[in-house]
Amino acid sequence: MSTGLPKRPPSAAFRGRLLWAAAALLLAASALGQSPLPPDRAFRFSARMVDAQTVEARFTIADGYYLYRDRIHFSAQPADAGLAVPALPGGAVKEDPFFGRVETYRGGMVVNLALKTAKPGEQVVIAAESQGCADIGICYPATVQRVTIPIPEASVAPSSSGATPKKPWFN
Amino acid sequence: MRVNRRIALFGVVALAALAAGIGFAVWSRPAPDAGQLLALALPDAQGTRQPLQQWRGKVLVVNFWATWCGPCREEMPEFVRAQRDLGPAGLQVVGIAIDQADKVASFAKELDLNYPALVGSYEALDVAKPLGDALLGLPFTVILDRQGRIVHTQLGPMKPTQLRAIISKFL
Repeated sequence: MSTGLPKRPPSAAFRGRLLWAAAALLLAASALGQSPLPPDRAFRFSARMVDAQTVEARFTIADGYYLYRDRIHFSAQPADAGLAVPALPGGAVKEDPFFGRVETYRGGMVVNLALKTAKPGEQVVIAAESQGCADIGICYPATVQRVTIPIPEASVAPSSSGATPKKPWFN
Repeated sequence: MRVNRRIALFGVVALAALAAGIGFAVWSRPAPDAGQLLALALPDAQGTRQPLQQWRGKVLVVNFWATWCGPCREEMPEFVRAQRDLGPAGLQVVGIAIDQADKVASFAKELDLNYPALVGSYEALDVAKPLGDALLGLPFTVILDRQGRIVHTQLGPMKPTQLRAIISKFL
């Protein structure tokens, strides 16, 4: 299929421009639907056992969002799991014209909860209620996220010699 | 080389079609139906039941808000001013607070509110879902013309100029 003209150089430049055009189009298309995150993604809750009676509870807060410290509440099912919640870590302090001194979290928040009487082998559901807002100027109603935690079978902590822990938890 | 170019061109055209399709879908979305919203009857902060139907024939600005929503509180003086200036010409702002009556009454007094502050639960906020507030975020504002048709919805605070421009168009 020779046309007599010299062959064009490889179309790397063309491919580059094409990629650019594609990216621009996709960006434009996505910008049309730019919307705030749902609260369980803006303030994602997770929890895991760090030892036989301690749950590490974590909020991972998306960029541009914040949670109110005093609107975070934890509960556990079954109730006889003996959940103990310590004082939450301090947040950034703000003077709210209506509510006075408020504390907020950005980026994340971690707190260790105790399950004093959870039975080995049972499932405990940790419920975390939180309420927060987005910097773009919207606030979400309080939402509850739940994580199911299997309690480990038997305590394998080498230092414990009996069933009861030696250290008191949060009293 | 020729085949690659054709595939590349096809890709660009496909992406352009996709973007155009999304754009058209967004632009030609049918206006949401105000039926459920206008059927609401909620107590004001003093406990008196107020049906939204009583404001039929007005240009209605329904603002969902809460005292626990900072951006909502910041936006409200603008609604007070709009009601003052354009009320005589047929504007009616109505606030629906997803909140407790005593907090609503307290804040309404502080702002010297010149429009009704109704008190709703999350059930009232559910009405906002099909109107464009799937995440139940606040503030959420719905503007209706004198015939009860929705002409604008906004999640997040309204800019004063934009609010006035839209209202004036329908007065």
